Amino acid sequence: MRALAIVPAWNEERDLAGVIGELRRAVPGWDICVVDDGSSDATAAVARRAGAVVLRLPINLGIGGAVQTGYLWARAHGYDVAAQIDGDGQHDPQYLEGAVRPIVDGTADVVIGSRYLGPGGFRSSALRRAGARYLSWFLRLRCRAHVTDPTSGFRVAGPRAIELFAAHYPSDYPEPEAIALATRHGLRVEEVPVVMRERQHGTSSIGPARTLYYLIKVSLALLLLPVERSRKVEISG
Amino acid sequence: MNQPLLPLELQVVACVTLLAFLAWLLYLVRFKRLSLRESLLWLVSTAVVLLFSLFPRLLYDLARAIAVQVPSNALFALAILYLALNILSLTIGLSGGATHVRRLAQECALLRAELDAMRVSLEKLGAS
Repeated sequence: MRALAIVPAWNEERDLAGVIGELRRAVPGWDICVVDDGSSDATAAVARRAGAVVLRLPINLGIGGAVQTGYLWARAHGYDVAAQIDGDGQHDPQYLEGAVRPIVDGTADVVIGSRYLGPGGFRSSALRRAGARYLSWFLRLRCRAHVTDPTSGFRVAGPRAIELFAAHYPSDYPEPEAIALATRHGLRVEEVPVVMRERQHGTSSIGPARTLYYLIKVSLALLLLPVERSRKVEISG
Repeated sequence: MNQPLLPLELQVVACVTLLAFLAWLLYLVRFKRLSLRESLLWLVSTAVVLLFSLFPRLLYDLARAIAVQVPSNALFALAILYLALNILSLTIGLSGGATHVRRLAQECALLRAELDAMRVSLEKLGAS
């Protein structure tokens, strides 16, 4: 099994070396590719020094475009498994081994690391927890996807999911939409419990004011999903 | 028709302005500063407005048909529609452009990485 860890990073020169080191220890056989999303600091140099493949985007595309770049690389180089791990140290690579198992066993195409399934760890603010609950309710209603942590960026994708995400990946708060996209294309989505850490530096990309925009945007995207899908089927067919 | 619907001077000014605008559009398309695809809506919608200036009667008929009391209000509604449509087409173009930019940036990142890998293996070859 050829496996790739995709690490999207935007100005993460401080924490990136640590994340790559952890990945090497946790999953020694995996290749690591860092997607430098138009950073203005030494992110790319840090990643290269740590021995990772660096996909350097000339402009800042945002998390959706950056992650998709990783999936494009995974597809181009024939990886069987690709995992997303944030470059800021929030995700602990020790959970990758467990998250990959459903894909190896053939029971899932996408595995999401959920901070709400297991005990303990960083669970973010009450407002965000409420938002996550709303989104998970919406996803269940709209796509019959049972996901407790729809905004989690800790994900593992099997071959079919790599194919799909390389071709289509939402932008602008893409996580819940990516789940919907996957289930709509008949992929099986599973969750495993993970413990997340509080980020060491910088602030989350989503402040309280943006949470509202996030919810409205994602709700609309989920509502409009069927229209988008029928068009996509035409394109690929 | 005892009294003209539109004073002749006004009609002339309107038509000349619109014709000048049309000529400018055609000039931009002719010298490739505006693609025909992007400008088609501007050309067609401006031609329609020109038609209304040439035959103000049409505006009155339109106002009656959609039950607008004052024909000039129909004109304003039409003008707003004209602008809104053209802005929407602009936004559609922008969205398409953003999608293309995203794809190109990603392709660029992949090519850079391939180039890096190739450079490393070339250096290894040179060293051995």
